Formats: sequence, C-alpha cells, structure tokens
Amino acid sequence: MSRKPPPSGGMRREGSPFTGLGPVFMKEFADHLSSARMMVLMLFVIAFGALPVGLSLQELRTITESDPFLFLRIFTSSPQRVPFSFTASLSLVIPLLAIGLGFDAVNSEFNRRTLSRVLSQPIYRDALLLGKFLGGLATLAVALVALWLIVLGAGLLLLGLPPRGVEVARGVGFLVVAIAYGGVWLAVAMLFSVIFRSTATSALCSLGVWLFFAILWPLVVPVMVLAVTPADVAMGMGRLDETLAMIEAQSMLERLSPNTLFGEAVVGLLNPETRTLGPIIPSQMRGAIMGAPLPFDQSLVLIWPQVTGLIAGMIVVFAAAYVVFQREEVRA
Amino acid sequence: MHRLIALFVTLAIPFLGPQAAAQQQPPVMQGLFLLTDYPAQTVRAGETATVRVKLQNSGLAPEAMALALSGVPAGWKIDILGGGQPVASAMPGQNESVSLQLRVEVPKDDKPGSHQVALSAKGARLQSVELPLTLTVGTEAPAKLSLKSRLPSLRGTPRSSFEYTVTVGNDSGKDLTVALSAQGPANFQTTFTEGFGSNEISSIPIEAGQTKDIKVKVTPPRDVKADDYPVLVKVAAEGATADLRVTLQISGQGRLALSTKDGRLSGEAEIGKASAYTLVLVNDGTAAVAEIEMSGTVPANWKVEFNPKTIPTLAPNEKKEVQVLVTPADKAIAGDYVASFRATARGESSAADFRITVTTSTLWGLVGVGIIAVALLVLLGAVARFGRR
Repeated sequence: MSRKPPPSGGMRREGSPFTGLGPVFMKEFADHLSSARMMVLMLFVIAFGALPVGLSLQELRTITESDPFLFLRIFTSSPQRVPFSFTASLSLVIPLLAIGLGFDAVNSEFNRRTLSRVLSQPIYRDALLLGKFLGGLATLAVALVALWLIVLGAGLLLLGLPPRGVEVARGVGFLVVAIAYGGVWLAVAMLFSVIFRSTATSALCSLGVWLFFAILWPLVVPVMVLAVTPADVAMGMGRLDETLAMIEAQSMLERLSPNTLFGEAVVGLLNPETRTLGPIIPSQMRGAIMGAPLPFDQSLVLIWPQVTGLIAGMIVVFAAAYVVFQREEVRA
Repeated sequence: MHRLIALFVTLAIPFLGPQAAAQQQPPVMQGLFLLTDYPAQTVRAGETATVRVKLQNSGLAPEAMALALSGVPAGWKIDILGGGQPVASAMPGQNESVSLQLRVEVPKDDKPGSHQVALSAKGARLQSVELPLTLTVGTEAPAKLSLKSRLPSLRGTPRSSFEYTVTVGNDSGKDLTVALSAQGPANFQTTFTEGFGSNEISSIPIEAGQTKDIKVKVTPPRDVKADDYPVLVKVAAEGATADLRVTLQISGQGRLALSTKDGRLSGEAEIGKASAYTLVLVNDGTAAVAEIEMSGTVPANWKVEFNPKTIPTLAPNEKKEVQVLVTPADKAIAGDYVASFRATARGESSAADFRITVTTSTLWGLVGVGIIAVALLVLLGAVARFGRR
C-alpha cells in the first residue's frame, strides 16, 4: 500500500480513522510510565507539590476555629514561610509536565525513522496522533491523580478528619480542571513537535509559549488596555460603566492565557466563598451575606466558561496539530 | 428710690427691735423640772422598756443633781442612763435640759398590775424635784401591721408591668422585721423592691410606729387573656399579718408573628426571575390586630411584592398566608443574601429575616457545551478534510 500526499477532495478512506488507536495509546502510555523522563518529571511534581502542602498542613493543624472547608484549604492556603500555595505551584508545574511529555511526541519518531515504520502498519495518522495525545493525557492524569491522592491522604493523616462530600466533589472538579489545563499544554507541545523536526526547537518553543503566558502576558495586558483607554478612565476618574468596561476588557484579554483560566477555575472551585470572578459594584453586595459559601452547582456555573475555554482550547490546538501533521511528508 | 427705702428700714429697725423681742419672751418660770412625755406607761413582762425623761433647769444656777429611784418593784431592774451610760447625777445648765433614759427590765414572770416608781433629783442646796411614774405590766400586746395602697387597681396590657406602691405600717410598740409575700394567679411573677431602690427584697425591718413604702411589681405571663386578676399582697411579722388585694386589669393585645409554614427561612431565587415564598402571619396575642401592612427590605435593585399587601384584620390565633414575590436584580451575583420581611400594624410588628440563595441561569453553561461541540466539529471537519487513506 503506497502512501501519497492527500488528494484534495479525492479518495475517501475506508474504515474508521480510529483503527489502531488502542495499540498506539497503550504503547505510548506504557512508554511514558516506564521512561526515566517520567520518573524525573514525577519527582519534580511531587517535590513542588509536597513543599506547600506540607507547610500548609503544619499551619492548618494549629488553626482552632471551625472551617467547613478545611480540607480545601490544604490546596489553597499559602504557608507563611513559602508564599506559594499548592495550586499556584501546580499552575507552574503542570505545563512543565505536559511539555515534558509532549514536546518530542512526533518528531522523535521522525528522527529515529520509526514513523514510516509505524504508519506502514494498519494505523492511520489520525489514530497515531490521537493515540499519542491520549497516551500523554492519560499519563498526566495518572500523575495528577496520584498527587491528588497523596495530598488527600496526607490531609487525612495530619488533620485527622475526613473530608465532607462536597469537599471531595470540589476536589474532583479541581482534578478535572487540572487535567484539562495539562491537556492544553500537551496539545501545544505536540503542535510544536509536529511543526519542528528538531526536538530541541520544539521544546524551546513550547517553553517559550509557557513563559510568555506565565510571566509576560499578565504584565503586557494591563499596558495594552491602558494604552487604549482614555486617560481619565485609566486614572480611575471615569464613569462607573467605563471603568467596568476597562476592567472587563482587561480580564477578557487575560483569559486568553490558559494560566488565567486555570487560576480562576481553581479559585471558584476551591474557595467556595467566591461569588464572582469579575468586578463587583458595592451596590451588588448590599444585603449579601459575606463569607457564605456558594452551592457546588453555582460554583460550577461560575467557572463553567473557564472550564469550557480550557477544554475547547485543548481541542482546537490539537486540531491544529492534526491538520499540520496530516499535511506533512512523513517519509524521511 | 431703692436707697431711700433701705435708709428708712435701717432707721426703723432700732425702734421696732426691743418691742418685738419683748413680745416673744415667754412668761418667766423659775425652777427645776423632771419631765416625761408619758408619765404612765405600759411595759411587758420579760421585756425591756425605755422611758425618756428630761431634767429641765429654768433660770437657776447650774448645780449637780443626784438622781435616785424609789419604789422599784422587787425583781425589777431600772437603770438611769445618760448618753447611753449609767449615770448617778445630772447637771443641766441655766435654761437647759439633760436627757435621761430609764431602762426598765421587767422580770419574765411578773404579774400584770400597776407599780409606782419615783425618780428624784436632789441638789446640794436642798433643791429637789420628783417625778412619779406609773408603770403598768400589761398583757403582751400583739404585733400589729397595716397595709395600704393608694392605687390598688392598675390597668395595662400583658406586656406592661404593674407596679403598686404599698405602705406597710408597724403599728406595734416594737421594731419588726416584716416578711413580704404575694399570691397571684399561676405564672404571675411578683417582686418587691424598696421605695426607689432596685434590689429585690423579701423582708424589710420597720421601726415601731413607722411606715415604709415598698413597691410590688407584678409581671403577668405574656399570653394571659384579657381579664381582671387579683393579687393578694401579704406582710407578716411575729404572728401579725396584714394583706391587701390589688387588681390587675389586663386588656388584650394583639401580637404578630411572621414565619413560614415549616419554619424554614431560606429559599432560592434565580437572577431576574420572580420566586414566590409563602409566609405565614399569625396573631398569637389576645386581641385582634387591624390594618396590617406588609413590607420588605431587599438588596439594591431587587423587587419585592406581597400578595396581599395589606390585611384588614387578624383575629387572635388566626393564621393568614402571605405570598411574597422576590425578584433578584438582573446584575445580582450568585450567593446568599438577606431579605427582611415585615408585618406592621399600629403598635405591633413582626419581622422575619429570609436567607435567599441567588442562583444564576444555567443557560451559559449550555453555551459552553456548545463551544466544546463546535471545537469538536472543527476537529471532525479536519479529520474529514485531511483524513488519509
């Protein structure tokens, strides 16, 4: 069976594009789990996760006031000695983990000249790319679930009280959001691994995008927004609706970054007192019972756009990688 | 003009002065006198009585007067006291007097009857004066108390407090400690306080012949029916009692209570949509409440409506359901808010704080699912477009 460049609108393929998806997924998953790189990444993640969790657990043990969401505080409280909460730490480490898993997904096969060998099997390219992506995502999920369970177990052991049902539900929601966040970065890394033949270039580009969104974007957005707003509004002298519009525009731009989406979703899920992620006018808070937690379903409604954005972003980036991969010449 | 009058007054005084002084001078009566208010007294067997005596010197030169008693019955002991100490003589100055007391100790088993006792004061210059006293041993006079109130009947609502000022008199010849008590209908609370004091008292000491004002405060139970209720105030001391009936005229009063059917004071409301809650208004007072108006305090830009808005009258123990429609503001933020509903009538009101959980529409959630579906469609389109054989 000879492989030709895609005839535009020409021959339709026969059978499901997902033939062979299972073997690719299993192989990729097994490779990841047994690889030395995975061990290093895992150690990295656990070290970054364990430090804030351990310290915040030490602090939580000294708290005497009753807190209905004590278990969630393990995730969100930032210890005094290290001003870094578990979730903040994860928002940095998850992209690294995902990029580490995905930056050489396709081009390493290419460089080892194994790609054409694989594709000579009854496996479509669709299945190969999707299998690799799902394998990476599954590995990511395993790592995050393990980490989540470790945190939960440590909390049980050191706090000595079981989490309530709603806390577990919120924790599971957090896990799903974290996996989706990792998925976005995995898709980005795979996109670069498809575009660039060199694994180093691909890794560098992925890390560059990550650094851009993690560090540069939060600094650039306010400058951009201030540049286009009138001076009096920027100084805080404008009308209420103009100021609100400025703030809205700024947060909309910030939400282009997966880091912002992840951060907001985590705040909504793990801080049940969060009522809104946008600006609040004082008149809206009149009569509100401060500190009253939002019901879980309302928190979900609140962060739903963020979750949707992460999942849709993951799919769109993966689709881009797919299109690029399909158009590529794979015979080296 | 003023100065002229002042001058006239100063001139006039020397002429008026001696004349006025002469008019005030009582007729001069020289001599030495032993005086007592009650020369014939009753004493009781087994008790100590005190007889107050005064040695008066009118216009004589001061002189030491030796005091002596004669005719003291057998077994009796009479001491002459001056300034609290036993004395043997007294020396009143010119136109002055010395107070003396005779402490009379009567033996327990003394029989009733009269005894003549004479107190004499003898001076060195053969001046002497004698005071005969008749001390009668009487049968034991019982302690006697009186109880009076100026306003024995008060009117009020079950919530007012009824304060009666009663005057307790000790009409007996000795000091008494009077115990106070009151008998009222069940669950009526009675407290006693002294005059203007705030301390509750259960007994009060009253000197012989004196009276004291005490306050009796009666608190009826809140749910008492309109009626007249008597309260019997009793004072007692050493076997003597006195009682006084005071009356509480309690008129009925309506009382409103606002709640819900099952007592749950929380509910949910969706942003921009009216949510209905059923409030229950109860009159658990003792009289009808008229012209009840419903009102509510809700967060800014919220709407609240009552159905019915006014209730003409609510009889005692009658329940009335009131529908309240709450519409959160369009820009409300999800979460818990406090809305306060009130039923107000003349002089009577009741409020209920309602906790409303505002929920947002799940419409945008569906939009989010739609976005994911679009992304998947893009992917499927790419698969269809670029899929290879």
